[in-house]
Amino acid sequence: MEKTLDVRNLKLHYFTSRGAVKALDDISFELYKGETLGVVGESGCGKTTLGTALLNMPTPPGKIIGGNIIIDGQDVLTLTENQYRRDVRWEKISMVFQGAMNCLTPVYTIYKQMMETIQYHRDMDKEDADARIRKYINLVGLSDDVLRRYPHELSGGMKQRIVIATGLFLEPSVVICDEPTTALDVVVQAQIINLLKELKQELGVSFIFITHDLATEAEVADRILVMYAGKVAEIGSNEEIFGSAGPMHPYTKKLLIATPRLHEKVDKLAFIPGVPPDLLEPPTGCRFHPRCTEVMPKCSLEEPPLKEVSPGHKVACWRCA
Amino acid sequence: MYWKYVLRRLLQSVLTFVVIIFIYSALFNTVMETTLRSQINEQIQGEMMQFATSGLTAEELKQHFENRKERLYEQYHLNDSLPSRIFWRAIDTLTLNFGKASTIKSSSGSSDVMEIITEKIPNTLLLFLTASVIDVIIGIALGLKKAQKPNGRMDRWTSIITMIVYGLPTWWLGMVFIMFFSYVIPIFPSGGIHSIPPPEGGLAYFLDTLYHLALPVLVLVIVGFWGRAYLIRNIVLGTLQEDFIMSARARGLSERRVLFGHTLRTAAPPIVTMALTSMLLSISGGLIYEGIFSWPGMGNLYWIAVQQNDIPVLMGNLALTTALYLMGLVILDLIYGFLDPRIKVGGKA
Amino acid sequence: MKTALVKKTSTGTNGKRAKGLFTSFWNEFKRYKYGMVGVVLLLMFILVVILEPLILPFPEAGSRWRDITYWQDNPDNAAPAWTNWFTAKDKTPQQTLKPVNLVEQNEPGLSFVDGEIPYNYQYDDPPTDIAFRAMVQGDVSFIVSLVRPDGTELPLFDTHTASSVPSDFRVSLNSATIDNVFEFVRGYEDPSVTAVYNRRTMNVMNVLFAKAQPGMLYNPEPMKGQYTFKVTSVTIGAGEITDARMEVAGKVFGIMGTDSAKRDIWSGLVCGTKWALLIGITTSLVSVVIGVTYGVVSSFFGGIVDTVMMRIHEVVYNMPLLPIIIVMSAVFKPNLWTMIILMCLFFWTGSVRTVRSMGLQIKEETYIEAARALNASNSRIIFKHMLPQLIPYSFASMALAVPGAILYESTISLLGLGDATIVTWGQILQDASNGSAVLQGLWWWVVPPGILMGLMGMTFAFIGFAMDTILNPKLRTR
Repeated sequence: MEKTLDVRNLKLHYFTSRGAVKALDDISFELYKGETLGVVGESGCGKTTLGTALLNMPTPPGKIIGGNIIIDGQDVLTLTENQYRRDVRWEKISMVFQGAMNCLTPVYTIYKQMMETIQYHRDMDKEDADARIRKYINLVGLSDDVLRRYPHELSGGMKQRIVIATGLFLEPSVVICDEPTTALDVVVQAQIINLLKELKQELGVSFIFITHDLATEAEVADRILVMYAGKVAEIGSNEEIFGSAGPMHPYTKKLLIATPRLHEKVDKLAFIPGVPPDLLEPPTGCRFHPRCTEVMPKCSLEEPPLKEVSPGHKVACWRCA
Repeated sequence: MYWKYVLRRLLQSVLTFVVIIFIYSALFNTVMETTLRSQINEQIQGEMMQFATSGLTAEELKQHFENRKERLYEQYHLNDSLPSRIFWRAIDTLTLNFGKASTIKSSSGSSDVMEIITEKIPNTLLLFLTASVIDVIIGIALGLKKAQKPNGRMDRWTSIITMIVYGLPTWWLGMVFIMFFSYVIPIFPSGGIHSIPPPEGGLAYFLDTLYHLALPVLVLVIVGFWGRAYLIRNIVLGTLQEDFIMSARARGLSERRVLFGHTLRTAAPPIVTMALTSMLLSISGGLIYEGIFSWPGMGNLYWIAVQQNDIPVLMGNLALTTALYLMGLVILDLIYGFLDPRIKVGGKA
Repeated sequence: MKTALVKKTSTGTNGKRAKGLFTSFWNEFKRYKYGMVGVVLLLMFILVVILEPLILPFPEAGSRWRDITYWQDNPDNAAPAWTNWFTAKDKTPQQTLKPVNLVEQNEPGLSFVDGEIPYNYQYDDPPTDIAFRAMVQGDVSFIVSLVRPDGTELPLFDTHTASSVPSDFRVSLNSATIDNVFEFVRGYEDPSVTAVYNRRTMNVMNVLFAKAQPGMLYNPEPMKGQYTFKVTSVTIGAGEITDARMEVAGKVFGIMGTDSAKRDIWSGLVCGTKWALLIGITTSLVSVVIGVTYGVVSSFFGGIVDTVMMRIHEVVYNMPLLPIIIVMSAVFKPNLWTMIILMCLFFWTGSVRTVRSMGLQIKEETYIEAARALNASNSRIIFKHMLPQLIPYSFASMALAVPGAILYESTISLLGLGDATIVTWGQILQDASNGSAVLQGLWWWVVPPGILMGLMGMTFAFIGFAMDTILNPKLRTR
């Protein structure tokens, strides 16, 4: 399978007044053409940071301090800001933001904002650009009518679709979706998920789908990347993680247990005791070890590397590899 | 949608204005009436002079003028109860019937209060509008620069200067500047809007005005633009933290476009509000400043009216200043509504 | 990303939590250097007020500001003493000359005292005036003459005074010696000049200390050396003369010079400090408390109450403060407290809008709903849940309102509508304006009051802005 995106040892720290918060510590994964990679984890594990890092737009005071992001054979982190802006952002990687509520500038119409984006990247005729915009607006299930509206006139679901259309219409290789359905009600959620599936089929785009909702992840993702405390805990196929055999990493196991099943009787809700660690001073060794029920002495001393336990299935755990 | 908004704002302002005029009327009722009574008596005296040769007996004359006085008092409601009098004074003011000045005369010699006041308005506007425009332009340029590198050296130092001039009275600085640049080192004129006599010819007249405008505007700008820059910096910073700015950057738009097209344009309503409001405030509070520079504007006129106890001019000036101020606010709100699509176009589809 | 306007803190405050909040706030505040500068400056101002009795060269300056007798020995419009260091010409400083060599002679019913008052004059610019002063009781005559370094001697004046109780006796040389001095000049000056010269326009001091030669009227050349005033007093009957002296009113005076009424400006400035602080802090405190309460109540009750309250607010907000205060002051007698009250009547509108929007936001919080469900009374919700969250903003507001209040007072004083019984910086500037200080370039009169106002404004601006930056979440740039 063709590799669209290759991330190696990506490190991002937030340099706050109290010290460096190690938000992304040595993240590595691959994304293949036409697949959806789901990124899951608790709040604060670094999922959204990963998204902005791939666009090389870390929220200040964040800074990428190491690693490679290789797209189409080129390590784009070596590019200057200007080059990144011209050639990578929205050309190769685009992002569908969470809470589409506020991602559209309130003072311009939808049409203007989309047209502006195209004109910044492509040298297209006005007619061609216009046609492209309408094509994608229709593709996401909206009528041309929304184009002349202002963001505040539209519902949450409509705005989310527009943001998806905007993320796709330059036909980038990778589309990062950061919690695209979290703020929407269940019915709209289902619509959006189906839409994304269709688009993936039609356009052959690779998605990175970031969410904390395991159920959605199981629905859309081909492969899953489990993050914990800024590190990769486990990567595997949908079947390997959610299938009957079950995942390997203790954290992932706990995550799945904590998710109640529709058809099972639940007497007591399971949860993972403890709190996510402070990334200013992360625990030594494996970052999960303070909360792990399968902990071994080695876990608190040395960080487990990400090791392949079967083709395509990698785990970072001393017990598993 | 927008028109409903416009209408509502206008109505609100009119109502506020009416209430304020009634308050003025109540506050200044006594003084106004003393003036009115004496003006009526003067008028009667004048008429008596004319009738002196008409051949009526002294008794009849006296009777006639008593009646006259009574009728005039009736007409001006001077015999009514207090609330009624306040009411009628207010109506007078509201219908722009300011009457005649006691002592002040306009440049054409007329005593009509309206004329006296309206010929001063352009002068005030000239001074404060010019200074405000320059202020805002510098303020936007500086504010943007500050917002781009928040808490950087430039940002911090300019903020400190802002705080230093925060409590500085502009009129005092005006006095100091006049002292140094008009008397100690005579470069600028010490006051007034024209040299005496004013020069002939369009260009010379214009340049002479500019020459007199220079020092007062300079002082206003020196003190003013820091505050503007600080406020604009905060507004822009607040906007820059919005999600849609990050989104615009992520879409690969140039930083210039993000800053001007998206940030500034979104921040335009509050920035315009701030700019116009401070301009309006400087006009209403320009009393002292105009006095220091002997600038023949509305503020100066007010002060002269107080000193000469010319109540009609005072009331008229106060009413007109308030009216202009409120009108300015309405225009401001209309511009705001126009700039912000959330108001212009209204709610959800 | 974007955070709410109000920092979410836990509901209600008790002593310990308040203390904890304060210490964390103080730690944060310390990081802002300019905020600390502001605090230091404020402490310095407070120190000035406390130490006022000690640092005032004229202890009764405040109460006797308009009393000309208190200041009569000072020169008028004199520059500060330290300016002498910067000028080429040496200006005469302020000095008190004491008598020496007193010789008493008593006859039946009469007593004579002869004395000398030496004066070592080494300056280029003679004094503004010299006054002979003494405490005199009884029937006394004085005869005074001057012996100059070149040996010339001229009579200055002889006067008589009678008083049964010890009273203050003062003779100003400028007014009392014109004729005698002019006669002296006639002996040395070009006759064609003296024939047409109006002696009333003569500068007595210039001539007294000039070389006796032609041209001494228009081009006096200073004669430096030892001058001696010879004073003879004749007392008829019982009497007593004490504290006889010559007060030399120099060309320069004091730390900040004098004004046209001979008042020491430094004293005025120091006295004005406490009024500035009082007016500023009182006005801002009262206004902000009213404004915040108004805003909270309006937002809390909502509906009709809110609409009505905001309409009232709008009316007051849109009335121009200055013109109205001017007319009110012209009608009522201007007095410190009526001024403060008037200002408060208008200043309260400032914070209402922001507080109201903050209040509206807090009202939507679920813990308010919870409190209501628990049957909390309205006042409890307002005072225990809403107000505490607004306290930080209130403090920042108060700090930032102080300079405005001081400015208004000085503006009103400048117009002559201030309280004339106290000395404020605005009063000093009003005197400067009336005394044509701007025209005459008397910078030491015009510049310092404004600088002090700016300094105090700066102090509160530093403090207020630092507080605002910390407490306003929108400005957080980490």
